[in-house]
Formats: sequence, structure tokens, C-alpha cells
Amino acid sequence: MVSDVYLFIFNISISVENEMMMLILIILHWLIALLLSPFLLGVISKVKAFFAGRVGPSLFQPYYDLSKLFQKSAVYSQTTTWVFRAAPVVALASALLLVLVIPLGGLDAPLKFQGDIFLVAYILALARFFMIAASFDTGFSMEAMGASREAFFACLSELVLFMNFITLALLTRSISLSQMIGADSPLSWSHLGPTLLLVVASLFVVLLAENCRIPIDDPDTHLELTMIHEVMILDHSGVDLAYMTYAAALKFLIFATVLVPILSGWTGVFIKDMSIYITGLLGLAIVVGIVESSMARLRLNRVRNLLLIAFVLAFFGFIVTMWRG
Amino acid sequence: MTTWIDASCILIVFLALTMLATYRIVGIIKIFAAQSFVLGLTPFFLHADGLTIRDIVIAMGTIVLKTAFVPFVLLWAMRHVSMRSEIKPIIGLGTSIVFGAMIIAGAFWVSLSLHLPGKPISDLMLPCSLSTVLLGFLIMVTRTRAVTQVLGYLVMENGIFLFTLSLFDVMPTLIEMGILLDIFVAVFIMAIIVNHINDEFERSPASVSRSKMGEAF
Repeated sequence: MVSDVYLFIFNISISVENEMMMLILIILHWLIALLLSPFLLGVISKVKAFFAGRVGPSLFQPYYDLSKLFQKSAVYSQTTTWVFRAAPVVALASALLLVLVIPLGGLDAPLKFQGDIFLVAYILALARFFMIAASFDTGFSMEAMGASREAFFACLSELVLFMNFITLALLTRSISLSQMIGADSPLSWSHLGPTLLLVVASLFVVLLAENCRIPIDDPDTHLELTMIHEVMILDHSGVDLAYMTYAAALKFLIFATVLVPILSGWTGVFIKDMSIYITGLLGLAIVVGIVESSMARLRLNRVRNLLLIAFVLAFFGFIVTMWRG
Repeated sequence: MTTWIDASCILIVFLALTMLATYRIVGIIKIFAAQSFVLGLTPFFLHADGLTIRDIVIAMGTIVLKTAFVPFVLLWAMRHVSMRSEIKPIIGLGTSIVFGAMIIAGAFWVSLSLHLPGKPISDLMLPCSLSTVLLGFLIMVTRTRAVTQVLGYLVMENGIFLFTLSLFDVMPTLIEMGILLDIFVAVFIMAIIVNHINDEFERSPASVSRSKMGEAF
């Protein structure tokens, strides 16, 4: 079954005995991602609470929130159509699909082929399209404002993401994410330190922008005029909201997963790689927490400049790569 | 050591870029201090194997002068005339950043056909120094305040310093001394002029308010 799907969509054939392994790999990927992603959000809020001098919610609070939401039923406004109901499902499904394209820790990506970076970018865009459409569907002007901001910032951050992908593709001579950041990635800090510094810096801004963290967006604020992501999911409730929240948590994990291997590299030993990976994720969550507690949200018209700076950084990295040949 | 040199070259250009995107003059002064600090460390990476006392003294002098004294004088001048801390750019910040990207690309392109005598320690030093000079120039021509123009000039000077570092095998003492003297004079003249204009305004009729005056610089 799995192999058939592969053959059909990506024209990649796999033998029958590999099919079982592939299934296990897919399930492992989903398990790790689903179990780990809310924890990272817990870590971020704990760090923020620490800097604010509070005890803060438990590290497992996101799990409690999610399980509570999953038990509730959703309320739908009469003005909404099927688009509104489809958005949470599409968001979660695309996040789960993205998890399969990315090598997690020592685990190989189940879904890999030359050019899968484009798949990553466009699946992100698909989920975003449905969320924006759903927020328009409610007919609430504030949500439309949030959607418009989301679309604008996403345009810029996608540009930065692609610029970084181009640099990484030049460095690794491959356009498959598995080879760029996977176990056999030739990236090393001792040779490419300065270029990778630029790539990491601009990817970090993309991570903040795509996940609507401070300084781009404040995930804790509930003022309709200023929020971006939160205002778009304002009308979703119950299971739908749980889907959206889970998709957002997974998205953070996905971006962190792209960033961690560039920072740390792989050793080739599974246990070591897995521990490096998880430590890296936690470290990144702590860094995001520190950034969030030490900065204020940027004024909306200045976010553009931040993303432009990230783009120039990525562009600079690209130039240095070209220069080095 | 080459990695460290490369990293500091890239950091210097990056900091020049962030200056282009900063709204507040105080922020630009602080970024300039950070850039000068990185630049001051570069000679240590360059001559890591054979550091002489003379090198260390000159490098330390540069660091102290550019990361402590010059920013201090600039901040003092700003406080003294109680000027507004916002820059007055001729072109928007977004446009400046895009221009900055073009300038970096141009600097790297020009560097391809520049063949300097001697063996370069790092191939990034020449294009990065050119980029810094041009970015400083961009800051100078697109910001209208006196302080920001001096800052642009200082960034240009940092670029020239990086360029001389890439040319010479030893610490270019004489050139550095000359440049430092230039900066010294520039910053002082700026501070004195700003101060004197302030005094003049002080004696002028009350219709010219202090806050209005600050906008001129």
C-alpha cells in the first residue's frame, strides 16, 4: 500500500520488505513529533515565567490544554461554510506530512526525494492558505486583518526560507532536505563556519516569524488589533482549536528540527544523535524563551524590516557561498 | 584562525547592515561600538602566532578609543543638545536595506577583479572591507543628521581599517595612526560645532525651542 502511494506520487519504488520498516519509521516520526512538540511550548513559557520572576505553569501544561480541548465539541457560527471546518484538518495534516519529510534526530526521513524542499515550502503555504481562507470565512473584520498580516509576513519569510535553502543546496550539492540536514550532510562548522552563521541567524528569524513569536507577534496577547496568529484562530473552538494548536506546536518543532542539525551536525550513532537532537530542541526553545522575555514586540510596520534584514543575511550567505565556489 | 577572521569579517558587515536598519541614533552608536570591538579583535586573530607587545598596545588603543571614547563623545553630544534620537533618512529603511544587499553583491563582484599584492590571509577580507566602506557611505548619504553622518564616516573608516589589515602583513601602525587622528578631529569638531550651535540657539529668541533645534542635527 505504502509503496503504491510512493510510486504513484513521487515515482519512487521501494521493495516489499522495506515496506514494514517504512511504516515503523513513519509511526516513530509521528510519535516523536506529537509527543515532543507541546513540551517545547511548555519550555518556552517556563523560561518566560522564570524571567518574569514567576513560577509559571507546569512544563506539561500544553498537554493538559490539548487534552481538555480534545474532549470538547466545536461550536460553529452559522455564517461559516465547509472551508472553516476544513482549515484545522488541513493544518494538522500538512504539519504531520511535513514531519515525514524531515530527518528527526538519528532517524532518516521516510519521505525523501530530490526537490522535497519545494514540497516543504508549498505544504506550509497550503496550510496557511486554508487558515487564511477560514478566517475570511467567519466574516469577522479583525480576523481578516490578522490574515492579511499573516499573508504579508509569510511572503517575506518564504523568500528568506528559499534563500537559505538555495545556500544550503549550494553547500551540500543537493536539493533534498534529507541530504541537506540529514545524517550524511557534509555541513561542518570548521569549514563553513561564517556562512553557516549567516544561515542560522536568518533561519532563526524565520522560525520566530513563522511561529508568530515575539518580536514578530506576541502569542500571549489578546488584543485583536495587534495579534496575527491568535486572531486567525479566534473563532475555532474545541477539537478544531486543538488541531490548530497542535499544528502550531508541530510547526515550531519542524523549524527547530531544520535548525538543530545545522548547529550541531550528526555523529552517526543513533543514541548520541537522538540525545543531541532533543538537547538541541530544548536549547532552541530556551533561546526563544530568552528572546521573548528580553524583547518587546516590534511595531507591525517594522516587522518588514526585520524580515528584510533576515533576507539580506541569507543573501549575504549565498554570496559568500558563491564567492567560495 | 581563518574561520575566526572570516567570522569577524562577516560580523563587521552584518553590524554595518543592522546600522542601516536602526531607527534610533543611540542604537546606531551602540552597534558602532560593537563593530569597532570586533574590528579591534581582528588583528589578534591575524597575528595569533607572533603577537608583539607593540601590536597588542596598538590594538588595545584602537579598541579603547573606538569602542569607549568615540561612542562616549557622541552620546555626550546627543545628550548635551537634547536632540531627538530618531534618524531622518532620505530613503526608507526597507529601501536602504535592499540597497545594502545590492552594495554587498557589488562589492563582492568588484573584488573578483581586484588583485592585491601579497598573499591574502582570508579571501573574505577584501570584499567585506569594500562592503563596509560602501555601507558606511550609504549611511552617510542617506541620513540627514550630523551625528548619523559622522557615524557613517566612522563605519567607512572601519572598512578602510579592515582593508589595510588585509593588505599588510604587520599591523599598519602609521596608517592606523593617521586614520585615528582623522576620527579624533572629526568627532571633536562635530561635538564642538553641535555644542556651539546649541549655545547660539540658546541666546536666540525663545521662539526657537530646544526640541525644534534638536531636529537639525
